[in-house]
Amino acid sequence: MRILFCGVGAIGSQAAVLCRNLEATLVFIDFDRVESKNLLAQAYVKPSVGKNKAEALKLQLLNLHGVKTESFGVRVTRDNVAALCGGADLLVDCFDNQDSRQLLSEFARGAGKPLVHGAVSADGTFGLVRWDERFVPDAEDTAGQATCEGGAHLPLLGLLAATLARSVQDFVKQGVRRDALVNLSSVVPTSGP
Amino acid sequence: MATLNITYDGMSADVPVELDRPVSDSDVRRIAAELIRAGGVPGLHLAHLRDDAFQHFVVDRFRGARGDERIYLRPKVPFGAR
Repeated sequence: MRILFCGVGAIGSQAAVLCRNLEATLVFIDFDRVESKNLLAQAYVKPSVGKNKAEALKLQLLNLHGVKTESFGVRVTRDNVAALCGGADLLVDCFDNQDSRQLLSEFARGAGKPLVHGAVSADGTFGLVRWDERFVPDAEDTAGQATCEGGAHLPLLGLLAATLARSVQDFVKQGVRRDALVNLSSVVPTSGP
Repeated sequence: MATLNITYDGMSADVPVELDRPVSDSDVRRIAAELIRAGGVPGLHLAHLRDDAFQHFVVDRFRGARGDERIYLRPKVPFGAR
């Protein structure tokens, strides 16, 4: 089983850490670099600042947890999505923008790959885990709408990452695809067996 | 009988609603605002909630495990987080 985490920022890095118990090859894709502000809400530690996020997460899982993983420090584009994602048994969308989510969704649907999305609202009060067969990207209200940064929404991000990791683990172990709504007071299953 | 789930400001609650006809997304937003203002949603009583509080919210519709109608009114999740 080869699981690709597409985007390892606040959601992806924490969900990946919570999947380290799986008998699977975890693969991380992210072009971005770790900044000091990321330490507040992402799984990175101070020595990782300045490193590529995918590479940094790979090193942390190896050095701190003894887990071997793979990394690609590149941006996913229409030109390379098939090469990067073609060998995956499961895709996990943790991107921070609608275009990348849409690109991944189109690839997964065309290639018949299972894909699960994890996302939070910009105000950090609400999140979704949704499998691609029920995925419809929400339109932005204003162009360039702000994303959450820093550590302001860490508890909600942690709750969402854990819910996403649980959905990944349920798929790997039982083949089920569970969606969920996540807010600060509850996690509500919305579909699946 | 349908179940309307409203998520607002980090809180979430279910409320049963009797719908005698299909309702549009804008109807769902208006009904939710009125229910919350009237105190009809457990844990979500906001007497001064604005009429347009749900203007940018998304309406999802599902069938529950027993075929029951479930309507979810929720914030958008357009981007995820950095």
